[in-house]
Amino acid sequence: MLYNVHFGIYVDVAMSVEDKSKSLLPFLSSPKLLPDESEAEFQSDLQSLLSELDNPSPLAVVLISQLNECLWWIKRHTVDKELLLHEAMARLLSREGTNWMGSGNSKLSVALEHYLEGSAHKDEADLIEEALINANLTLSDLRARAFKDVARHIKMVDDLIHRQHQTIRHLQRSIDSIDYKSRLIKRMDLELAALESKQSMKGVLSLDDEPS
Amino acid sequence: MTMNHRRSLANRCNALKSTGPRSVTGKRSSSQNSRKHGLNTAPDFESSSEYRVLFDLIAEEGFSTFACADIATGLLNYRRVMDAYYDTYTSPEPVDEFLRDANMKASNPVFRELLSPSGSEPQDVREMASFFASMQRQERRKGGPVSRRSSDTHKLIRYQRNGISRLSRAVRQG
Repeated sequence: MLYNVHFGIYVDVAMSVEDKSKSLLPFLSSPKLLPDESEAEFQSDLQSLLSELDNPSPLAVVLISQLNECLWWIKRHTVDKELLLHEAMARLLSREGTNWMGSGNSKLSVALEHYLEGSAHKDEADLIEEALINANLTLSDLRARAFKDVARHIKMVDDLIHRQHQTIRHLQRSIDSIDYKSRLIKRMDLELAALESKQSMKGVLSLDDEPS
Repeated sequence: MTMNHRRSLANRCNALKSTGPRSVTGKRSSSQNSRKHGLNTAPDFESSSEYRVLFDLIAEEGFSTFACADIATGLLNYRRVMDAYYDTYTSPEPVDEFLRDANMKASNPVFRELLSPSGSEPQDVREMASFFASMQRQERRKGGPVSRRSSDTHKLIRYQRNGISRLSRAVRQG
């Protein structure tokens, strides 16, 4: 049994990390990314995680790819927290302004997005500044009010991030247990080899002793 | 009448009194339950090709047959949850911008004009306006696209928790 296990692991160890991740492609398929995300970046993150393990087994590779996905979800949700605030700020501005009935809300939210990024055109900046003056608010007041409005949703996003952290912890524990198992088998193999060599040495010695 | 029969009748009567959502919004919301993510249905992983691939791969690492089956099922189940998570995240319920941005006070004359040919009372206009106002409140409470996708994804937390616990347990006990 041990030999079978050893043989199985030996075959896997012979494959490179890239080969291992490729051999799992039917299961993993291509990573599900958002339109503005780069697959190359995702793969490079995955490779850097895989390189931290010494000869990861195929199951470890699967678990690490799930872990990488969790890290990406954390990034996405962190961006969402800021987006939630921007969304609420735009809503407050349009509510406070005179343009209540019209379709200016989406225009205002795009302008606000650019304004906060610092990439707004002059007319966009003017629109936001006018809306702030109309609402009698400063940008930090607006942000504070928006935070109050959207606190419930921010809490939800925090829960989502927390869940991803918990998932990562579970995955790490699983990877550790696989790693420990393979190291244990390697150690037992080494001990077995040492015993065998000792036995053979003894055999040689006893053969040498026999003639006398 | 036997005790069991009486009890079963009583249960049926009570069930008629108390099951299901009562409000219109509750009924509307629960009518979409099975269509959202499909995670409440029992999956059949054993007959899928991915299951065989995974099973063989895990078996090579020296896990027992039972452990291989558990780990492969756990992994596929976790993937199913995460795929639903992604789908929910990328396709939130669309925002009804007209309803969200409409001025309800300004719309009262429009309702009056719409209802006057049938000789309706001001009461009807008020009811219609209050119905639209309640719809607008609901629409606004849901927030924009980011709020919607956060709250929709939040509903999948328990599936993710169960999925990863099951997988992690299978790997560690294997």
